[in-house]
Amino acid sequence: MDYALTLSHVTKRFGAHKAVDDLSLAIPSGSIYGFLGPNGAGKTTTIRMVTNIIQPDEGEITVLGEKSSELTKDKLGYLPEEKGLYKKMKCAEILAYFGKLKGMDAQAAKTKSYELLDRYGLGEWSDKRTEALSKGMGQKVQMLATLIHEPQLLILDEPFSGLDPVNVEILRDLILDQRRAGRTVIFSTHGMEQAEQICDFIFLINGGKKVIDGPLSEVRRSAEQAVMLDYDGDGSTLRSIPGVVRINDSGKTAELFLAPGTDPQVLLRDLMSRVKVRRFDQREPSLHEVFVRAVGGRQAAKDLSHG
Amino acid sequence: MVKNKTWLVAIREYTENLRTKTFWIGILSFPVILIIAVVVPSLLAKAKDVRRYAVIDRTDWLLPAIEERAQYDDVLQLLKFLQRQAEKGESSVAKLPTALRAMADGLDKKTGKQLESKARFMTTLGKSFANLQWLSKPQDASAKQDASAQTQEFLLWMASMSPEEARGLKAGVKRERYQRVDVPKGTEDPEAWARTQMNGEKDGLFAYFVLGATPLESTDGFKYVSNNRTDKDLKEWIGRLSSEEIEARRFAKEKIDPDVARRIQEPVHFDEKQLDEEGKEKEVSSKDVIRQWAPLVFVYLLWVSIFTIAQLLLTNTIEEKSNRIIEVLLSSISPLELMTGKILGIAATGLTTIGCWILFFLVALKFGPRMMDIPVDVDMSILISDPSFLLSFVVYFLLGFLLYASMMVGIGSACNSIKEAQNLMSPIMVLLMLPLMAMMPVGQDPNGTLARVLSFIPPFTPFVMMNRAAGPPAMWEYVVTTLLLVVSVALAFMAAAKIFRVGILMTGKPPKMGEIFRWVFAKERQ
Repeated sequence: MDYALTLSHVTKRFGAHKAVDDLSLAIPSGSIYGFLGPNGAGKTTTIRMVTNIIQPDEGEITVLGEKSSELTKDKLGYLPEEKGLYKKMKCAEILAYFGKLKGMDAQAAKTKSYELLDRYGLGEWSDKRTEALSKGMGQKVQMLATLIHEPQLLILDEPFSGLDPVNVEILRDLILDQRRAGRTVIFSTHGMEQAEQICDFIFLINGGKKVIDGPLSEVRRSAEQAVMLDYDGDGSTLRSIPGVVRINDSGKTAELFLAPGTDPQVLLRDLMSRVKVRRFDQREPSLHEVFVRAVGGRQAAKDLSHG
Repeated sequence: MVKNKTWLVAIREYTENLRTKTFWIGILSFPVILIIAVVVPSLLAKAKDVRRYAVIDRTDWLLPAIEERAQYDDVLQLLKFLQRQAEKGESSVAKLPTALRAMADGLDKKTGKQLESKARFMTTLGKSFANLQWLSKPQDASAKQDASAQTQEFLLWMASMSPEEARGLKAGVKRERYQRVDVPKGTEDPEAWARTQMNGEKDGLFAYFVLGATPLESTDGFKYVSNNRTDKDLKEWIGRLSSEEIEARRFAKEKIDPDVARRIQEPVHFDEKQLDEEGKEKEVSSKDVIRQWAPLVFVYLLWVSIFTIAQLLLTNTIEEKSNRIIEVLLSSISPLELMTGKILGIAATGLTTIGCWILFFLVALKFGPRMMDIPVDVDMSILISDPSFLLSFVVYFLLGFLLYASMMVGIGSACNSIKEAQNLMSPIMVLLMLPLMAMMPVGQDPNGTLARVLSFIPPFTPFVMMNRAAGPPAMWEYVVTTLLLVVSVALAFMAAAKIFRVGILMTGKPPKMGEIFRWVFAKERQ
C-alpha cells in the first residue's frame, strides 16, 4: 500500500513533558484521516512535526516518500488552528504570496489565485483587502491559500471551528473534492459528526499516545451494540431499564448501550411503555461514544461540549 | 546565500510598509519639520505689525542725527539687497520695482567698501529722506547735479516707501518694521501726549523714547517707555544709533581723533588658522566648520533611524505573532528565512526613509537659501565626497541596524505584547542611550581615550566612529572596529535566529532572560 505519510516511533518533549510519546502512524494515499483527541493530547504537536515547523526529538517522519525536511514543506498544504491573514493585503495578492512561498512561479500563482477565488464564489473580493472579509469568507480564503499549490498532502487543524453550517458544508465539499482529485487529507477536529461523515480513518490520541487508529467502520464495530432513540416524554424514566448498560440522554434523543444478549424487540416494548418512541435505530455506537469511552472520564466529555 | 523565499518575505514586508500611513508620515515629517522650523519664524517676524514709536528729543540735534544714521543703514541694506539681485541675474532684477532696476545695474561688481561709501554719499545727499522736496526744487540745482538720474529716482522712491512696500521687497530694511511718529508741533507736554498715544490700538504707539538734554555729559533723562517687555529690538536699535552718535560727538568735543579712539577701543581679534596635511597654515573655511559639526548631526540621524526602525521591527514581529499568520508561514519557509526576510524588508524601508531625508536635505541646502533669500555660503560637497561621512554613515547604519535588529527580533519573537517586550527592552535602551550621552565629549575630543575605548565596544561602534569622523580616526581603527562589529552582528544574528525559532511559536507567559539564554546555547537537532 502507498502511504502519503508515515511516522515511526516519534517522540517530542517540551522540557520534562512528553507531548508526543513513541507515536507510529501510516496514512494511506488518497484517504481522509481524522485526528481526534482532547485538548492538549498532542494533535497540534504531531501536525507541527509533520509540517516540519518543529523537529521530533526521536523517530522519523516520511512525507510523500521523502524524509521530512525544509524541502518537503512545498509539497504540503497546512491550515493551522490559529489562522490569520495580512489585513492590508488584497485577497488575490495574499493567495499568490502563499503560492510563491510554496515555490510557485509568480505568474502562475497570480493566475491561479484569481481562478480559485472565482471558483469558490469570492471573485468580486479578489482585489479587496482581506480586512473587509467576513469571518467565514476569511476562513475560505485561508483554505484556498492552503490549496493554491495543489499539494498532494493536505493538513487541516480544526478547519471547522467557528464556521456556520453553510460554510461547514462548503468546506466539507472542498475536502471531498480533494480526495476525488486523489489527494490525501488529514484533519483534526473536535466535531465528531463531521469526522463521522467524511473520514475514512480515525486516529485518536490522548496524553501523547495513540489510543485508537483504524478505518472508521472498524473503530465503531469494535465497540458494543447501541440503539439511537428519539423520544418524547420524561427522560428520567429511561434510567434503570433492564438490559441497558449505560445511556447518553440528550433530552429528545438518547443513545442506549445494550448488555450482551439483550433482545432489541423486548427493549423496544419496554421503552414504549415509558416514553413515546419516535425513532428506534439499532446501530454501531457513535464516534462520540467511542471517543468518550477511549479518553475516559468526564474531562473529555467536557472538552467535547466546549470544543 | 539569501534564498528566493527570503526575498519574497522581504519584498512583501517592504511593499506593505510602503502602503502604511506611518511610513509616509515618517518620510514627510522631516521636510515638514524643517520647513516649519525655517519658514515659520521668518513668516511670523514679517507678520508682526508695524511698530510706531515717538522720540521726544530734549536736545535739538540728536534725533536728526539718529535719523541720518538709520537712513544710512537702510540705504546700505537696500544696496546690498540690490547687489544680491544683480548677482542672481537678469530675471531677479526684472522683478524689482522700476525705480530700483537702474540702481541695481552694475552693483554686482562693487566691493563691500564701495557700497558703504555709496551709501554714505547718498545719505548725505538727501539729508532728510522723509522730506525730499529739495529734489524737485529748482534752487537746489547744485545738489541735483551731484545726483545722477538713477540716484535721484532711487532716493525719491525710498522717501515715499511705505512699510508695506518695504516688506514686500524682503530687503530687511528697518522701516518695514518701525515707523516714527512726529510729536505734533507746539505740544506743550510731549510726554503727556505720548502717554495718551500709547492706547494699545493699532495706530497707537508701541513705545516712546525720551532723549536727555545733555547727552554729552551724562545719559540722565534717557527713557524708554513701552508696555511690551519681550520685544527689545526697537530699544536696542535706537539705543545703538544714539550711542554711536553720542560717542562720535564726545570724541570731537575732547578733540580725540576718531581713528585714535577706534584704535584704543579695538578688541583683540585672533585670526583663526589650522594646519593642513603638509603642516602648513591654512584658513579655516566653512568646509572645516561643517567637518566639525556634521558628525554630530550624522550621529543623531543614525541614532534616530536605528532606534525607530528597530522599534518598527519589534512591533511588527509581535504583531505578526499575534496575527496568527506565523504558523502558515513557517509551514512554507524556515524560521531563519522568515527572520532574515523581515529584517531585510524593514532595513529597506528604513533606508528609503533616510534616503529621502538626505535627498531633501541636500536639495534644501542647494536651493533653500536662494529661495529664502538668505545669503548662505556653505560648501556641502565634502559630506558626499569624503567617505568618512556619507559612505560610513550608510555602512554604520546597516551594521548598527543589523545588530540592534537582531536583538529586537529576538525579544519580539519571545513576547506576546508590546508591554511584555518593554521589560526585556530596558537593557537595550540603556545601551542605546550611552552613545547619545557621549556625543558631545567624543565630538570635542575625537581621538581621546573615551572615544577610542568606546569605538571598540561593538554596540557603540557605529555611533562613536561616526562621531569621530572629524578626527578622523586612523585607518587601522576603522578596520579593526568594523571587523569586530561584523563579527558581533553575525553572532547576534545567529543567536536571534535560535530565539526566533523557539519563541515565535510560544504563547502564554513570556520567558525569563535566563530561559532565552538557554535557547541560544541549546544544541540543535538536524
